[in-house]
Amino acid sequence: MDGGKVTVGRTAALYAGVAVLRLAIFTLLPDLPDLLTGRVEISTPVTSFKRLQEGLFLYNHNVSPYDGGVYHQAPLFLPLFSLLPNALSYPIFTYFLYIAIDLLSASALWKIADSGEAGSSALFTSPRRERRWNGFIIAAIFLFNPFTVATCLGRSTSVFTTCAILHAIAKAVSGAPFSAMVALSFASYLSMYPLLLLPPLVLLCFDRQRPERANKSVVSFAASHVPVVFGVLGLLFGMSYLITGSWEFLPSTYGVQLTLSDLTPNVGLWWYFFIEMFDSFRSFFLAVFWLHLSCYVGGLSIRIRRQPLVVLTLLLGIFAIFKPYPSISDTSLFLAMVPLYRHVFPLMRYSFVIAAVIMYASFLGPAFYYLWIYAGSGNANFFYAITLVWGLGQSLLVCDLMFAVLRDEWELERPEMAGKEIRQI
Amino acid sequence: MPRLLSSALALRRDPRILKIPPYLSLLCILVGAVWLFLLPLNEYSRRTYISENALLPGQVHTYFGGSDQNVLRAYKQEVNSLVGKSNVEINDKLESIVRGLGLKTARQNFTYHAAGRTFEGENLYAILQAPRGDATEAIVLVAAWENVKHEVNKNGVPLVLTLARYFKRWSLWSKDIIILLSPDSIAGPQAWVDAYHDAHDSSRVASLPIKSGALQGAIAIDYVQENRFKSVHIVYDGVNGQLPNLDLINSVVNIAGGQMGMGVALQEMWNHNDKYPDRLRTMLRGMLKQGLGLASGPHSSFIPYHVDAITLQPFGEGWQDEMAMGRVVEGTFRSLNNLLEHLHQSFFFYLLMHRERFVSIGTYLPSAMLVAANFTIMAIFLWMKSGQLEIPAASTTESSDKDDAPTATTERDLFLPLAIVALSGSLSAIPLYIFNHVPELALTPFFYLFLLINTLFPITLSLIITTLFSPTLQQYHLVKSFSLLLLGMFLSSLATLNFSLAMLIGLLSAPLSFVKPSSSPVSRIVGFVLLNLTSPPAVLLASAAIWGLNVGDILREAAVAWHVTGTYSAVVVWCVWWPAWLAGCVCVLGRPGRDQEEEKSVKKA
Repeated sequence: MDGGKVTVGRTAALYAGVAVLRLAIFTLLPDLPDLLTGRVEISTPVTSFKRLQEGLFLYNHNVSPYDGGVYHQAPLFLPLFSLLPNALSYPIFTYFLYIAIDLLSASALWKIADSGEAGSSALFTSPRRERRWNGFIIAAIFLFNPFTVATCLGRSTSVFTTCAILHAIAKAVSGAPFSAMVALSFASYLSMYPLLLLPPLVLLCFDRQRPERANKSVVSFAASHVPVVFGVLGLLFGMSYLITGSWEFLPSTYGVQLTLSDLTPNVGLWWYFFIEMFDSFRSFFLAVFWLHLSCYVGGLSIRIRRQPLVVLTLLLGIFAIFKPYPSISDTSLFLAMVPLYRHVFPLMRYSFVIAAVIMYASFLGPAFYYLWIYAGSGNANFFYAITLVWGLGQSLLVCDLMFAVLRDEWELERPEMAGKEIRQI
Repeated sequence: MPRLLSSALALRRDPRILKIPPYLSLLCILVGAVWLFLLPLNEYSRRTYISENALLPGQVHTYFGGSDQNVLRAYKQEVNSLVGKSNVEINDKLESIVRGLGLKTARQNFTYHAAGRTFEGENLYAILQAPRGDATEAIVLVAAWENVKHEVNKNGVPLVLTLARYFKRWSLWSKDIIILLSPDSIAGPQAWVDAYHDAHDSSRVASLPIKSGALQGAIAIDYVQENRFKSVHIVYDGVNGQLPNLDLINSVVNIAGGQMGMGVALQEMWNHNDKYPDRLRTMLRGMLKQGLGLASGPHSSFIPYHVDAITLQPFGEGWQDEMAMGRVVEGTFRSLNNLLEHLHQSFFFYLLMHRERFVSIGTYLPSAMLVAANFTIMAIFLWMKSGQLEIPAASTTESSDKDDAPTATTERDLFLPLAIVALSGSLSAIPLYIFNHVPELALTPFFYLFLLINTLFPITLSLIITTLFSPTLQQYHLVKSFSLLLLGMFLSSLATLNFSLAMLIGLLSAPLSFVKPSSSPVSRIVGFVLLNLTSPPAVLLASAAIWGLNVGDILREAAVAWHVTGTYSAVVVWCVWWPAWLAGCVCVLGRPGRDQEEEKSVKKA
């Protein structure tokens, strides 16, 4: 903490600047939020604000929100949003909520950055760790990232998941495993896929335990903390049951993600594949796709055991590519974590190519979508091709970051090889 | 395989490899430009053909004629008596005629403000309900009271009225026919189509009281000529360079050329001998119109809504009369009436070079993509170059024995370059706003003022940057790299939407690939003067001089197009081309590492 007052002043300035920027866009361009809400890049069937409105309407009229098959989000959003005034007549309250969530995520990210976990974990200390950005810059990069801004303006409910995940990690690095588990259960309750982050998160919590209460064995540590997640999840499900009055929400929220029953286009790789699929192969390939998504968890957790935060970052990148309903919000979460690894950036080999590919894809994507849907002169292949490029850009980033981190570890073991060209065999 | 990889990696370190990209990038531009000139050759273009079998153009007998000629004369009389009257009076009279035919009519008011002027009027339209349809689909027949040159459509309006009367008698229509009589050729149809698709701003454009089904096609008649005509001119350019489905044009070519024997012209090529120069001229005219993205007739506003539309203009001295023109429209409507689904079979991206010859997107797109790729190549090259250690020539002998030296990269200072590129990007909002919101009279003075500021501003900006931050050569490389990367990215995205505009901007900004900061003042000045000759306002001035137009008129048209039809060419010029040009000027005027040199000389002394 270098000069508490300065930091507080800068923090306030950053947060105020972020809030003013978003409010300015909300008020000066009143049509933009609704336009962004309709974009498939931002709103997926499981995070769309429009669908939330539909669910809210049904809920407020005492109809099950899952009737009609439009709403696929967690039931607890409904009481939260029905507390707010109507989003159509008084949108400003919704805007404030979303801005606050972004700022909360940023504060969690700030804590993660300031903990220095990215450079030196319990089992590994990078020789390059001195080269890093402080929490202020990391938070600023996250908050001013156009993808984050667009997600906030599009009022996608994935920002709540992002916030919960970041808080889970922040709690883990600050030695509060119980809170971390609770935060992760909230994330899993909202979006399901964060449950896959449990193994690396448990490892991270184990590594960052407070010394006075240290538990020596991973197994007993996990055994005492994993039940917390399921306990909290059970509690949340119970509350959901009380709110909606039936267990119908389980198939409508998690079932939709598991079976991909809504094939609305998005930036991911699943929808096109399952549109083309013959029905008899559908369940087999669903299993394969989910298996593929979850198989990274074990492998990465074991291989990069010494840096659990790296595992979490890479998994977030992988989820942003291979999830059933990804959006740019997932990419913004991944891109929020990447700057923590500034110390390995010099080891990355394709940074310019990655930046160029991601930027090209984010401009060509809307152009091709326009050609397909509005101009009618293109077809679905145009958009799918560009989502492949988008996925390629992100997977390049995941691979390159992994390469850099592994090389950083390797150079500590083999100092004589530092700076030499290496070859994969 | 590993050996191949390692040799590839070794090649990467070769200093010679870094010499290639500028030549490669020049080659891309040259190939891209030459490619364009190969397109009119027989080997690269294709004959047109009807792709949609349901159209069956020219397969029906057309019966428009006989006593309908007397009706036409009567309507002509009525219309002639209305010339010079107000919009409402004209609509009152026309509405009574149309209503007399037994059609449902309605009116719509609209007001647009652009360049300090107000464009207002009242559209009149009528719906002929299909005897065999269920009002789910409709075709539109448009006659604007005035054409784009503000001549009164003296024959077009009576012809449309006569056709409405004639169509009403037939029982074979399976799609509703909408007759649209708008007071002008641009704002009226735009307001009507916007309102038809509920995409209008209801404070300026009234909603439509009655509607029909999804629009399947639209034909506009622009028939000003009094005497008998020779053949038909098809105008097909939509707003923002979007084009109607090629099948629609082919059908009219087939009906007018084949069935009626009257010939068809495109792009104001009144005599086309189907040889290379004429084909090239047709293609280039088409590209220019597409690139400008302006509305070229009443049909233009329909195309962005995925309604295929064209305007038919009779021209020349010949022996065809109004009845022949009516039969062309009848034949085309019969074809459109046959459609089972929206026109989708044929091409939406094409360049026509003769009425029966075209190139499709697969053949012409590479040229624009190559031009856009040249910027990306240079951006990657400059990024790599900026990452290399700046080893002075003297120390190369020392480092030659260390084989890992060239792979070592220096830290790149990204902040200043990113800030410069972001600054030039955000400044671009100023000219965009000014030229779209200044009243008509002030446009010309503002333009010359802007031209002056535009010349002086880069010098000032460069001076500020060099004195405040004294950027290094690496930072200049990065400025150029980022600005070219953005330019290449925008142009390649744009090439898929509006090929001609992307190609045009790409060629005009090609010099930006080759500018670099220099230490000699002479080359700095020469570079800056050359860049100024290709600056956006200078190009505008030059093109105005070449075509003998007034700059103020061009800017007014652009502002009107921006506000009325939503043409985005101005955004591309000011927000894509101009920032790249500004960044290029900063690079050309830059004096890299001046402080370091001074320090060195101080040390030596």
